[in-house]
Amino acid sequence: MKESWSMILTYACAMILVFVLTFHFLLQGPLAGKPFEGTGGVLAFSYAAGNLVNFEVVFGLLLYAAILHGLNGVRVIALEWFHPQKKAWLLNLIIVVLMAFFLALGSYTLLAVG
Amino acid sequence: MTVLDALIEVREKRDSSLGYRHSCGMGICGSCGMTIEGVPRLACQTQVSILKTDVIRVEPLHSMGVMRDLVVDIAPFMAMHKSVKPYIIRRDVDERDHADREYRVLSEEVRRFLQFDYCIMCGLCYSACPTVALDPAYIGPQAIAQSYRYMADPRDEGWDQRIDLLDTSHGVWRCHVAGACSFVCPKDVDPAKAIQMARKEVLKKRLLRRKAKVGAQPVPLLSSGVVKQGAKPPPFDFGEGSVSGK
Amino acid sequence: MKKEPRYKSGLISSLNPFGYNVERWSYALHRVTGVVLIGYLMAHIFETFELSMGNTAWTSTMNALHSLGPLELVGLWIVAGSALYHGANGIRLILNEMFGKLMGRPILPVYPYSPTSLGRNQRIAVWTITGVVLVLWVWAGLYLLTGLGVV
Repeated sequence: MKESWSMILTYACAMILVFVLTFHFLLQGPLAGKPFEGTGGVLAFSYAAGNLVNFEVVFGLLLYAAILHGLNGVRVIALEWFHPQKKAWLLNLIIVVLMAFFLALGSYTLLAVG
Repeated sequence: MTVLDALIEVREKRDSSLGYRHSCGMGICGSCGMTIEGVPRLACQTQVSILKTDVIRVEPLHSMGVMRDLVVDIAPFMAMHKSVKPYIIRRDVDERDHADREYRVLSEEVRRFLQFDYCIMCGLCYSACPTVALDPAYIGPQAIAQSYRYMADPRDEGWDQRIDLLDTSHGVWRCHVAGACSFVCPKDVDPAKAIQMARKEVLKKRLLRRKAKVGAQPVPLLSSGVVKQGAKPPPFDFGEGSVSGK
Repeated sequence: MKKEPRYKSGLISSLNPFGYNVERWSYALHRVTGVVLIGYLMAHIFETFELSMGNTAWTSTMNALHSLGPLELVGLWIVAGSALYHGANGIRLILNEMFGKLMGRPILPVYPYSPTSLGRNQRIAVWTITGVVLVLWVWAGLYLLTGLGVV
């Protein structure tokens, strides 16, 4: 696969992330009123789980966009630092495995709570 | 007094073993590139007075192997330049090898790549680049800028080949627009701009599925074998507003 | 010919922007904030996984984090600042890299040189981003650190 495709994916995820992450910040903040009130300063289970249930698609999009963007960034940094000539496939494999792991973990959380 | 003058003074009167490269002394050859006060510059173009210090710190160019004192190994840098095929590529090799007429190129077409043609291969941009510092396999800003110079040249028909050379894991995508290359370039080649323009060409091919254009054709001949009247291109006109700083 | 080791190369040189243009500082900060964010993201996915384990598991995780005291809020503040900067600068980089904007057109260089890629449009973008991010970061800090929900 040409390097340009992974970078196009990174750019697309970045553009999605700008909007979805802004929504996530606002949801944890001003939009929510005071989610830490009455809980001793910790985020209440009902509030956090409620968010995941009500905005499942948004958080799913956030998860996939963030992991694909972030771990591709890690791949770029690793590529520059280690600059593998013959074992580039190994680096790509490690990143893909990490992506799969975190996507699976996050997806399970969304489905289990939803 | 320039830093080069100071180095020559040191070599002549204090330490004759000091090693450094220089040639023209007027910012044309690019030989005297070195790191002066932490930034790559041409020693012949750097006035001592602008550095505002009594003790000037001069080092070899960063990210290059040191052969001796201020002399660095530029072979990897030159190899990167060579790897991008920095010459006109024509599909008709016979026409290229046995050219008997010039190619028609309009002045507005020249304007699209002339800035990048001013490169003197001094290596300052390569030394300043943070990606080169980390990744020695990265082809570097100079090579990408020169690749774009030929992509933008209407005489060139190697667009597809150049795209494939740049679209690699150590190619054009490893630039992160730090702009240090353009900051240090002594000839205002602006490699950062060329790199982003090269990236757009790569995206045009991958995303928009654009095809390569046919290259500029040789000036047509009359039946008598004489070049067609009026075929001589007009004098270059760079147009209003095309001068830097405006 | 024997290949000499490269002089002053590596991670520190790559991230050292002293003496260079403001865009090089942006590059270094973008990289550092990116690493902070990916580290936080991976931890955050483990943290939200606790939601699927039920109320008790979630509350005990939250209490464990809360027991860090002001460190938790300062850490979140740093993550918020990183996200703000990385996102805002990322928009500028997408404009530069994907659309070739803010770079200027090819010109005929005339001394004294002024590269268009580091010209007025680019500088306006960089400093606008810096200003907006600082303002939002201070606001995020007030929200997090005071716990008053300052809007």
